[in-house]
Amino acid sequence: MSRVLTSAFSTFFVLLQVDPRQIVEEAQRRTTTQSQRYEGTLRVIDARNKVTEKRWQYDRIGSHGSSKAVLRFTAPPEVKGVALLVLNHPDRSSDQWMWTPALNRDRRIALQDRSTRFFGTDFSFEDLEERDTNQFDFKLLGEESLDSAVCWKVQSTPRQAKVSQYTHSYLWIRKDNYAFAQIENYDKDHLVRRAHYSDIRNDQGIWTAHQIDMHDLRRNSHTILTIEKLQYNVPMNGDAFTREALSRES
Amino acid sequence: MVGIHHSPPRRGGVDAPKAQTGWSDRRNILAEPTTPAASRPPLLCEERNVCGLSLLLFVLLAASNCYSQTYTQRGFLETQSTLYPLEAPNDSAHAVGESLFRYEGFFNPSGSVQLAGALDFRIDTHLQVGRDFKLSWQDREIRRPVGEVRRLSATYHRGPVTVEIGKHFIRWGKTDIVTPTDRFAPRDFLTVVDNDFLAVTAARFNFEKGTNTIEAVWSPRFTPSRIPLPNQRWAVLPELPPGITLRDAGAIFPEGPQSGLRWNHAGAVEYELSFYQGFNHLPSFDATPRFTSTGIDVDVRRFYPKIIMAGGDVAAPTPWFTLKGEAAYFSSTDNRADEYTLYVIQFERQTGEWFLVAGYAGEAITRHGTRATDFAPDRGLTKTLLGRAAYTIDANRNILFEAAVRQNGEGVWIKSEYSQLLGQHWRATLNLTLISGNTADFLGQYHRNSHAMIVVRYSF
Repeated sequence: MSRVLTSAFSTFFVLLQVDPRQIVEEAQRRTTTQSQRYEGTLRVIDARNKVTEKRWQYDRIGSHGSSKAVLRFTAPPEVKGVALLVLNHPDRSSDQWMWTPALNRDRRIALQDRSTRFFGTDFSFEDLEERDTNQFDFKLLGEESLDSAVCWKVQSTPRQAKVSQYTHSYLWIRKDNYAFAQIENYDKDHLVRRAHYSDIRNDQGIWTAHQIDMHDLRRNSHTILTIEKLQYNVPMNGDAFTREALSRES
Repeated sequence: MVGIHHSPPRRGGVDAPKAQTGWSDRRNILAEPTTPAASRPPLLCEERNVCGLSLLLFVLLAASNCYSQTYTQRGFLETQSTLYPLEAPNDSAHAVGESLFRYEGFFNPSGSVQLAGALDFRIDTHLQVGRDFKLSWQDREIRRPVGEVRRLSATYHRGPVTVEIGKHFIRWGKTDIVTPTDRFAPRDFLTVVDNDFLAVTAARFNFEKGTNTIEAVWSPRFTPSRIPLPNQRWAVLPELPPGITLRDAGAIFPEGPQSGLRWNHAGAVEYELSFYQGFNHLPSFDATPRFTSTGIDVDVRRFYPKIIMAGGDVAAPTPWFTLKGEAAYFSSTDNRADEYTLYVIQFERQTGEWFLVAGYAGEAITRHGTRATDFAPDRGLTKTLLGRAAYTIDANRNILFEAAVRQNGEGVWIKSEYSQLLGQHWRATLNLTLISGNTADFLGQYHRNSHAMIVVRYSF
């Protein structure tokens, strides 16, 4: 009994001392790079266990709130060339444009439309943003074990400047390497999406999940993103992240 | 989805037809749909140098696949079958089949240069596609060519500057269905409601810095839209008194370049101003009567009036929907052409699995021209309520509804579509299109062309 009380008190004092913002900022700092490139395979598994596979190439320059990213589908053949440009901002929501080769024009994804699914996957357009810590308030809820790793559990709530489909999220951040282990996104009391990060490896000094399982709980559908050929700090040109560049095939 | 613009008959005391091309019924068409040799542009392979260059580039594009990782390709083979339950007065066919093979390749020899090429090959059962094998470049044939260089362009980009030269696609404007400022985008309107864009031969200069983009376009050679064939159902023929016969007198293609300039600002509210001077890619028609021993022959000739367009568009997000607006004013030094304003107001919302668009297209004519009639699908869809609703059932299946309803209720077009991906490569689409209304109405004139279409596509 005394051991339990001691443990509870020590946890309580740890929580008093640890600033959740510092935890999230440290996690952000550790993943700050000049650029990132990977090939992603998406396996969409619907409620009836029907599996659809898509592939994309992801290029990002900059990090977090000041980054720009282009995501271009490479498979299946009928969506080859469809691309999304995401321009992230440190103080507000991102700007997003989607390029559809068949129409030869881009379409801006309006803010109120960001909660919809991205091209039949379980990621919403908002989930593809790079989030900056300055756009959220944080609260440390405690420590929990997840996948045999001790994690901080942090609640993040978007500030007013940040318009989000989610009222709040719970973040699980591993204590050993500050990698994200899981994110649960809520709309009021309802859990909407859960992103579970696994196969965490050290790539060029950055702990990176090579598998992200995004679970849409309303549809009971999963999308498993497997990251391959990951590279950080690849030389990239900023002019490859413009609307004009979106129309150029790569 | 398009319609036809009508003009009152004016010329030479002859009642020119109210419907689009002014063709008589089939009995009275003496000329086959041909373009006179004098004004017919040379096809690509008749211009041996261009043909050779095109083939060489395609060989290089294909060969580069072996040596470079910067080559990407895609394409499809598509077969569509269209069933028309009703017979048209000038077309007894109830079923039409067409197959299209499209190949697109993109080669990046360096980080700042890209070569893009695309070829189309077609065949059909209804003579909408020509039967002589020529690789077309100009897109001036009245039938779809069997072989066509759909695109062949080189792009150079450095910093904020992009320059693209060759045959390529240029799209302006933000609204859907009707896009008044989209002046470098001729279309194949052979089957009016199912149309596809044609590329233009042009040089395009684009400067993008931050939230602002300036684009200048210069096109040395005119590319017209392709219009319905006079002896087929999408050319709706007027009733003419006995003794009056319409003759296809071909087309006069304008000489001289077209140019355009636009400025786009992509802030919280995105807006664009655009200016164009050149020619309308949609034809007008002149009718010249000739008195013969058997009656009156009316020579109907296509021409493409000079126009100047000044326009703009805006997209403003609100908490509930995105409001889009687009308007353009068209003036002309050719007094045969109308002067008018086209405008579109559109609401757009994506919610859950639905993508919804609703809008209204309008027109205000400030001067009536003297030509006999027009083929003007953009104006034909004005004074019309437009809507589109797309629903994603799951990752493989989606449905689509589109509708256009004339504000006077005299024309309705409704399209419903179910589409399903089968495996990684195949997609099957079932399309049901209902058209009803008054024969004098833009949409209603196609009331005998309601149809069902099955499309099977293999993508690679």
